[in-house]
Amino acid sequence: MGTQALTAQHLTRHFADRVAVDDVSFELEAGQIFALLGPNGAGKTTTLRMLAGLIAPTSGSVRIGGEAMTPQAAPKLRERLGFLTESPGLWDNLTVRDNLMVYAQLYGMHDADKAVSEALTLFEIADRSNDRTARLSKGLKQRVALARAIVHRPRIVLLDEPTAGLDPESARDVRELIVAMRSEGRAVLLCTHNLDEVERVADRVAVLRSRLVAIGTPGELRRQLFTSRLRIRVSQDAESFAAQLRSSGVSDVRADSPWLSVSEGTFTTPHIVRMLVEAGADIEAVERDEPSLEDVYLKLLQADGATR
Amino acid sequence: MRMLALLRKELADERQNLALFVPTIIVGFVAVLLPVLVAIIIPYVAGERLSDSSDFEVAVEMYRNQPATRTLDPEAAIQAYLFQFFAVMLVLIPVTSSMSLAAYSVVGEKQARSLEPLLVTPITTFELLGAKVLGAFVPSMVLTVGYFAIYMLTAAVLARPGVAWALLAPRTVGTVFVLGPLAALAALQMAVCVSSRVNDARTAQQIGVFVILPVAGLLIGQLAGAIQLTVFLITWITLGLLVVNAILMRVGIALFDRETILTRWK
Repeated sequence: MGTQALTAQHLTRHFADRVAVDDVSFELEAGQIFALLGPNGAGKTTTLRMLAGLIAPTSGSVRIGGEAMTPQAAPKLRERLGFLTESPGLWDNLTVRDNLMVYAQLYGMHDADKAVSEALTLFEIADRSNDRTARLSKGLKQRVALARAIVHRPRIVLLDEPTAGLDPESARDVRELIVAMRSEGRAVLLCTHNLDEVERVADRVAVLRSRLVAIGTPGELRRQLFTSRLRIRVSQDAESFAAQLRSSGVSDVRADSPWLSVSEGTFTTPHIVRMLVEAGADIEAVERDEPSLEDVYLKLLQADGATR
Repeated sequence: MRMLALLRKELADERQNLALFVPTIIVGFVAVLLPVLVAIIIPYVAGERLSDSSDFEVAVEMYRNQPATRTLDPEAAIQAYLFQFFAVMLVLIPVTSSMSLAAYSVVGEKQARSLEPLLVTPITTFELLGAKVLGAFVPSMVLTVGYFAIYMLTAAVLARPGVAWALLAPRTVGTVFVLGPLAALAALQMAVCVSSRVNDARTAQQIGVFVILPVAGLLIGQLAGAIQLTVFLITWITLGLLVVNAILMRVGIALFDRETILTRWK
């Protein structure tokens, strides 16, 4: 961790008088999954395309391993990138192996055959290598597209909606493959509006709505927006203990029998538990009440909407 | 290397989609059938000789003045004239074939949404377009050579002795193997240009009318006696087609702008 694989600095892109991406900056590190979250039309795909050197930013810059992405340098720098587009975009008349082979050759791989075999094995599609891709299920097509994105062994992988339209099982398989990419030390940028997916795999998150609304780890974003709360289940009436906690100075105490919910402010968790036990409570469960990433995301967008 | 890799893909893709060649096969069949019908079958069925008609006196005169065909008898000279005349139809083989393949090739990528992954690779626009053009051009020329061989064979088997040899004159060879490829190249470059602006292969193919019409004009012009497709005229048409191809190549590369493709192609 800690090695910057990709840096975006003040990326801005205009389409005529519309601002698709506005002053976006972030860094992507090796061995990290970075999620770019945002509603439809937030500029996620445009950002990915600028990162891949497919479209030029109106202003700002992209650096891959310290080298600036310029129109001249783009073909060479693109060799270090793997890009999964929103649609698999496979050649239906060709076999799985042939699809990957063409890409391995386009990336100038000397051991194209070996690289294709490795990718087929990694994505567990070797047994389908001679099937025409037209015959594959949507989930399998996505696997092939992922295999194609890394067949040239890039250190940076950009994924645009990798689980869109997949059934839960296929989506889980794809998520596992994304996590495997991180384990191999690749820097993964995941572009999605699937919050559950981000919750499960992302190390860092950026919320985009043309401009960056927020950036950080999921935990950091939660802490920025929500106070940490404890939920305690008692076997007796929760309301009586709520009153005792309030009188002891614990702030923002809520009771909804059998649950008590308190804000973790001036008192630590053991301290609050001790107070309840001393007051005669039978504690059945203690858990941290964390807002979901969806709560965080919606609050961020709501706050951003209010400021525009 | 990259162009070759993509070219191999194009050819493999076409092998799996043989329906693309149906229009060309029909055009080729008609091109071979027409001279046989006019020069051999109709006179045979009617029980008349072509040389009995005064309509072909010009042909007989023309061939009497050429060293390669001077020895042909009047009937053979007229048959050679007709086979040479209809050889212009062979130009339509590479034109229809390359148009249909090129239009499918580019619009097909758009429809399959396979162009964006391709553009992410280090391939240059020149390499990409080069592979697309060659992917349509190579099979078109293979078909042209194949049909020319059938044309020659038909003349050798069905026409009078010496007619097939007369077809190897610079005029016929120039028409089929110089004008044909250049017209095909122009047609397929037009198809590529139009493909970058439309989403339907048929729309892209329709632009081919701009190439087919002049070829048909040549045919009709000869029939009406207004044009004689001489080596001199072939040379001028060749030069014109070279210029048109050079312009189309520039336009094609300019239109095939990656940003435009990604942001406007839907």
